[in-house]
Order: sequence, then C-alpha cells, then structure tokens
Amino acid sequence: MDFLWSGIRQGWHLLVSGDPYLDHLIVVTLKVTAVSTIAALVVGLPLGLVIGLGRFPGRGVARALANIGLVLPPVLVGLVLSLLMFPASPLGRFHLLFTLRGVYLAQSVLALPIVTALTASAVTSLPEGLIDQARAFGASRTQQWALALREARFGIATATIAAVGSALSEVGAVVLVGGNIEGSDQTLASAALEKVNAGQFAEGVAIAIVLLGLIVLVVAALTALQVRGARFTAAGRSSA
Amino acid sequence: MSGPLLQARGLCLARRRSEIVHDVDFAVREGEVVAILGPNGAGKSTLLAGLAGELAPHMGTVTAHGRVALAHQNGALAARSARANVEVALAWWGVPAGERRARAMRALEQLSAADLAERQVATLSGGQRRRVHLARAVALNADLLLLDEPFTALDVSARDALLDDISGPVRTSARAVVLVVHDRAEAWGLADRVVVMMSGRLVADDTPHALLAAPPSPDVARFLGFSGELRDGDELVLTRPAHVVVDPSGRYEGTVTRRVMQEDAIRLDVRCEQGRLQVVVPPPGPDVGSALRLAVVGGARFASASHP
Repeated sequence: MDFLWSGIRQGWHLLVSGDPYLDHLIVVTLKVTAVSTIAALVVGLPLGLVIGLGRFPGRGVARALANIGLVLPPVLVGLVLSLLMFPASPLGRFHLLFTLRGVYLAQSVLALPIVTALTASAVTSLPEGLIDQARAFGASRTQQWALALREARFGIATATIAAVGSALSEVGAVVLVGGNIEGSDQTLASAALEKVNAGQFAEGVAIAIVLLGLIVLVVAALTALQVRGARFTAAGRSSA
Repeated sequence: MSGPLLQARGLCLARRRSEIVHDVDFAVREGEVVAILGPNGAGKSTLLAGLAGELAPHMGTVTAHGRVALAHQNGALAARSARANVEVALAWWGVPAGERRARAMRALEQLSAADLAERQVATLSGGQRRRVHLARAVALNADLLLLDEPFTALDVSARDALLDDISGPVRTSARAVVLVVHDRAEAWGLADRVVVMMSGRLVADDTPHALLAAPPSPDVARFLGFSGELRDGDELVLTRPAHVVVDPSGRYEGTVTRRVMQEDAIRLDVRCEQGRLQVVVPPPGPDVGSALRLAVVGGARFASASHP
C-alpha cells in the first residue's frame, strides 16, 4: 500500500507545485473532452431526435445501431480508426494519425453513440402525444425538436455527462490513434496507463488521482446544472 | 350562406392498411359547431385526424379554406406553467411575441383557469390540465378548430363544469368548430349540428332537435337513447323515457322488471306483450313485479319489414 500513499502525496505535490507536465496533461484532457463532447452533441442530438421521434423505415435498426455503439470496445474503435488513418487509407490524406486532431476524432466517434442513444431514449419517453399536439398546433420541425429537447433535458444532461465521462477516462482509442505521445496528445488517462505499464506505480496513482479529482469536479458541475434545470421548472420560473 | 370552410368528399381513411373511415361526405360551414357522435371504435378520432390533415386520405379529398387546429384527446402539456403552455402554443401558431401573453391570459380566463396561470402543470388536477389544454386551442383563433373528445376521462362534476365553461369560448374562438364526443349530453350541450358515425360511416347528420324528433334509422335511434322498443302492427316503435307516461287508461300493460335510482326520479324498465319500455316516475314508484299501464306519447316509428 506504500505506493498508494506515495501516489497521493505525489499527486498533491504535482498539483500544488504547478508541474508543467501535469498542467499539459490536464489541458489536453480538457480539450479532448470539450471537443469530443461538443462534436458528439452537435451530431448526436439531431440523430437522437430523428431516431426517437421520427417515423421512417429502419428506425428500429438505427436505434439498435446506436445502442450497439454504446457498448463498442474503445480499442476496437481505435484500431479501426487508426487503420483508416494510415497514409494509404481513406482518411490518410488528413494526416490525423498520432495527432491531437486524430484523438479528437476518435473520442468524438466514441461519444457519438452515447449521446445519440441516450437522447433517442430520453425523447421516446416523453409524454405520449406531446410532440403530436405541438405539430397539430402548427409547430415547425425545429420547434418540435426544441420542445423535445427542453422536455427531455434531464435525460439529455445524463447523455452529456456520460459523453464527458467517456472522453475523460477512455484510453484505448487515445493510445491507438494518438500514440500516447507525451507533450502532444497524451491525456491524464493514457499517461496513467503509461506510468503503470512502465512500473512507475506511484506516478500512475498520482495522475489517476488527479484524473479522478477532475472527473468529480466536471461531473459535479454538470450534475449541479442538471438539478438546477429541474428546480428551475419546479419553481415555475420558466417562460414560453 | 358562404361556401364550406372544410369539405370532405368520398373520404376513406386507413390505419395500418385497414380502412376505418368509409366514403364520408362532410362539410362544415362558417359559424357551425358540429359534434361527431358515435360508439367506441366508430372511427370518430380517425375522421378528425383526416379532416385535420394528419392522416392522408386513402381515397377521396379534404379541402380546407383557412387554418385548421386539432386539439388531441390526451393533450399532453409541457413541464412548465399553464400560461407558458398557452404562450408556446401561440408561438407555434406564429403569433407575434408581443401578443402572446395577453392572448394566453384571455384564453385562460375564458376557460375559468386564470388563477392557474402561474401554476406548474405537474401540480394541476386532470380537469385543470384539460382546461389549460383547451385554453391553448381556444387561444389560437383558428379558422376551424377540431376538438377530439375534450371531456374524456373527466369525472362527472369536472366534465359538467368544463362543459358550462367551454360552451361560450367554443362559439367565439374559431369560425367553425368540429368536436368528437362520446357522450350525447356533450353533443346536445355544445353543438348546433350533430353527425352520428357508426362503423366508419356517417349515418345521420342534422340538428339535435331534428335528430331526436326523427332519427333516420333504428340503429341511430337506439344510439341516441331510444331504449324502449315495441312492435305496433307493422311498425317498430322506439321510445325514450320522456316519450312514455304512466296512464291507468294507457294502451300498454306491463310488469316492472327493474328499478334504477336516478338523482330526482326512478327509471322503471317495464316489459309488456308488445316489447319493453322505460319510463321515469317520481319516487317512491312501484316495486319490481308491479303491474303498470303505460301510454306512448312520442318516439320514432319505422316500418318493421325494413327494420327487423
């Protein structure tokens, strides 16, 4: 257990001493999280709305695909993407392999089904007839979607938290696509993995503790927003 | 009189490849309040969806002159205040932002729901939610307003109160109104024209008074509450309780088979040689098994040969 206490002490020391290595890891991790979550929300929210509210042939298949995406092994996604990014492959001309941009893409691909599937599930659970009534009162497609997003906001906040969690803690795709390059595209999670693989357990634990603290902070902030949204409605301060 | 606001010709509507509404010809003119009445499964809500354009015709056409709004039966509300629900419906309808609040409050007042304006819908009862839902519909000032079973799933007192409150707004909120109702009292209370629908077809279309005075067929008469049924020579006579009186010199002698307590009276089911009748008498009334002479002072008569 000594390495655990040593790790905690080192983690604290790294944090309070403003270690540039750790600062860089935190910045890269937050950038990857922000970019991949925003990208997943931009693409995944409309997809989830279409799957959840649409009436089209193949809707069940689309929902099943999104659900499969939820449980895809990140290593598999990373492997496929890295193969696609090789110079002679379809994405080769974009020079994404072993770059931060490649990591953004890989993490976005992993977060996308999370947002899509959970959004579809949230809007499917809306009160029966809510959207149909809006349509009957003249609501445009955009207004129907806005209504669905607003009414399903608790579930969509959950989808966002899950996407953030995935981006913060996932390592498989980061290592395979980004190469886990220190000072470039290495994140807190992939750095912790590297340290453990190198037998530097105390350093690994230190980084993992920092990562855990970051996860707690980010998820707590998102949860506070989620709960505030629910209270906002309950307090009757909403307006049309 | 001006042309119809909405006209359906030869309208057939299907759900899941099964035709539910058959060959309906129907028109609504300005100023009319039309009730579509019929038993469960008659196709009333499907017809309304077809008239609103939500369901494409399987055959036939629907032509509307003006904007049509359909208030669905369940009328789910968003998780916000009552006023905000009305305002957002006005936004969907395209009403400028500056007008929404005043129109929403006016509609809520018309439905006796102004005191609910700032309440969250989660805190409202079923009857209060229905008022807010109908306030949304009334606020739109659509050219043609379609209401699908606006009183369904309400208890009797809530329904009666809402029926009283909506009778005014229904006439002023749109150029014409079509409402599907399940209960005859709702049709008599609101409409100046009643359409009876059975098995996907329109089988009667007239004013409430004319329909009650002369229902076009025995089936329509039975549906409209003509529960007494006699054979009188070659004629089938159908009567409502109001058409039958206790009369010691009456033509029909029968035996009381059932007593049903009503609020201020007792309804008696009487079996006689020619058939069965229902009559309403003041309490205490005769017991089951008592002999009674009755006279029929109204009702509908049909040739027996054509209506077995």
